[in-house]
Amino acid sequence: MEVVNARSALLSNFEVFEFLREQENDHKARQKTAQRIKKEEEASGISVAKHVSAVEIAENVRTIQFEAIQHLSADYQPTRRQTETGITKLVKDLANYDLTKAEKLQIVNLAPTRPVELYVIVEELEDRVSDMEVILDMVASSLSTEPVPPTNGFSKLLPSESDSAGVLYPEDNDVHMVDEANGLEFDDTGEGVGVEGDLDKEDD
Amino acid sequence: MFNLAVLKDTVAIHPSNFGIPPEQALIAELNKKYANRILHDVGLCISVFDLSEVGEGKVRYGDGFLWYKTVFRIIIFRPFKSEVILGKIKNSEDGSIRVTLGFFDDIYIPEEWLPQPCCFDPNQTEYFWIPDCELTMRHEMLETPIADRTYFEKGDVVRLRVEGDEFTDDEPGPPKAQDGVAIVPPPPRQAPYSIVASMAESGLGPVSWWLGAEDNAMEEN
Repeated sequence: MEVVNARSALLSNFEVFEFLREQENDHKARQKTAQRIKKEEEASGISVAKHVSAVEIAENVRTIQFEAIQHLSADYQPTRRQTETGITKLVKDLANYDLTKAEKLQIVNLAPTRPVELYVIVEELEDRVSDMEVILDMVASSLSTEPVPPTNGFSKLLPSESDSAGVLYPEDNDVHMVDEANGLEFDDTGEGVGVEGDLDKEDD
Repeated sequence: MFNLAVLKDTVAIHPSNFGIPPEQALIAELNKKYANRILHDVGLCISVFDLSEVGEGKVRYGDGFLWYKTVFRIIIFRPFKSEVILGKIKNSEDGSIRVTLGFFDDIYIPEEWLPQPCCFDPNQTEYFWIPDCELTMRHEMLETPIADRTYFEKGDVVRLRVEGDEFTDDEPGPPKAQDGVAIVPPPPRQAPYSIVASMAESGLGPVSWWLGAEDNAMEEN
């Protein structure tokens, strides 16, 4: 093991949340498919020891995935009320202000809607930003009032999952990130479906 | 809170997984190795984000595994210094309050970074804070009426500022000759990665404080 770069890019909470939930839904879908195929096989009397589409999910992966999703989707976090378009717009709007990258990231992560919350994030707020209320309004308008339903069907709202990775911080070191995200697009669901289709043919 | 780290590693794929598309098998294998583990001076690994480079799988003499050289990106939890995060109070002890994020719970707030004046109540095993109070001695503060105290209760959602982090390598070194066979009690286990944070600033501390008391906070500022 070798660490090439310990901090190549920053991720917002929303991006991590999206990624983990995508992964979880993917696992669930694959598990269902595997179960269905197993049932069909049992019914038809053929027994297969191990199925090709069954990627084993290790215990530690499940644990961290579950706990991180739980933390990020808690009531006191704004993550569940955020949307990709809302954040993109917020970051673009914030570009007009003289804020550091870290401050912008924290505004996205914590979504401050009260002055006191913004004071904590931005140093010397009064000297640097004259219209604090405007920022708070911008944040408030980037949040949807209805929290997004916790599981299932959410991924369908966002047709291209890999794009969500690079869009948030287009100004800095994420240039390569966007390229890679588009170039090396591992469409897990597609492959899963492919395997499933092939197997169905075999069964016929 | 989160960032991406680029790592390089060689991964072995067991023959029973040859039926799975290689990138899926590689990501599963890498997750098994890294997820929920601490990398020294890097942070807590959450999950593999994507693969950047994968060499051709090679078979070595001696086993039937396919060995891949890979470069991949992984999601790391490591809040930067001065970052503001939300957490929950896990427990308190004399000297510090421990905060958990669910997936990570080695965040400590030492007494000197709590809002002052504050004091540890051994009966409740919780810290409390007395607003607008001149007292500094512990025994004086413990005699104040309970109604004046504001406790940092277990389970409270708190906002805190990361002041620093520390990695400890818990691996025991090679045994030394002079130790002989004497049985040395192992030192208490230390967390491999711990974060020190602060609540001593207006706007930090239990979130519920600031929901109602916002106007007061504005006046203070």
